Amino acid sequence: MPTVVIASPKGGAGKSTTAVLLGTELAHAGANVVMLDCDPNQSLTLWADRGPLPDRISVLSSVSESDIVKTIKRHDTDGQIVIVDLEGVASRLVSRAISQADLVITPMRATTLDATIGVRALQLISEEEEALDRKIPYAVVFTMTKAIKSKQHTGIAGSLAEQGVDLINPPLMERASFSALFEFGGDLHTMPAQGNMEGAIENAAQFAQAVYQRLAGEMG
Amino acid sequence: MTDKPFNIDLGRLKTREKDRSAQAVEKTDRAGEELGFVAREPQKKRGRKPSPRTGQVHAKVMPGISEEIANEARRRGVQQGVIIEEAWKLYKNKSGI
Ligand SMILES: Nc1ncnc2c1ncn2[C@@H]1O[C@H](COP(=O)(O)OP(=O)(O)O)[C@@H](O)[C@H]1O
Ligand SMILES: [Mg+2]
Repeated sequence: MPTVVIASPKGGAGKSTTAVLLGTELAHAGANVVMLDCDPNQSLTLWADRGPLPDRISVLSSVSESDIVKTIKRHDTDGQIVIVDLEGVASRLVSRAISQADLVITPMRATTLDATIGVRALQLISEEEEALDRKIPYAVVFTMTKAIKSKQHTGIAGSLAEQGVDLINPPLMERASFSALFEFGGDLHTMPAQGNMEGAIENAAQFAQAVYQRLAGEMG
Repeated sequence: MTDKPFNIDLGRLKTREKDRSAQAVEKTDRAGEELGFVAREPQKKRGRKPSPRTGQVHAKVMPGISEEIANEARRRGVQQGVIIEEAWKLYKNKSGI
């Protein structure tokens, strides 16, 4: 089964939120998901400890540089989608995880700073493609976007598209329920209502579906 | 809004072959290092472990004796303290301490 690596050297870009939304929505749609927490700050582990884990999800904590390759190998062969959440730093652990990915997703806020730092993940991917002589599909998702797109957002989206970067549509909007995942644990379906819950669930599900289409090779 | 907004056909999910050899990992590491993606985890400590011998005696001895102790320690590849510990043990046995 495919391995999805969530990577950006920028802290606070929305990686762990993206990982949890993707994992819980894929599991909700029927897939078995194993999430690897590779961040020493343990965001995913904290989320998992907050509330009952949704069905079909397991979380492995403290996966390190020396065991990331083995751990992915052990899990992507047994019918589970593997989702890897990384720390927001430029580390060897990040490059090793990317080397094992079927899809790398780089979440970024639609600001110049986030985009500038996020692009380093894309450079790393193309270096690895060359070193390993293998295509590593990747995509960018904007996070914490507002209902009304900022000029910066439009500009950054345009320039990424020009460089041929695959942008996942829809972006993950800024939503109270997305940050509340780390307060209540579980998923959007079990959480006490926060703000516009229907909109949030729809946003997360469409995002997960867009990722699924890429994993199923439906994006060409 | 439906409860299951999309269906997952697990059979369609694709996994590519990945090289997991030590050489591939090394190539990956090298590609990353060039862009500043370097080892950040504490590495295992190299070199000699700190000695458990933290006590100290303040002994002046005759020049020939210090030389003999030093030579013997060097010959056995131990610290001079080890020789003194052994001598003290013999002394304790002899004196019934
Ligand atoms: N789409 C979003 N809506 C609301 N809050 C978000 C969203 N994405 C991230 N956040 C919040 O922003 C902060 C950083 O997000 P996080 O996912 O931990 O980033 P990273 O893992 O990249 O460091 C967290 O407090 C998180 O709750
Ligand atoms: Mg995180």
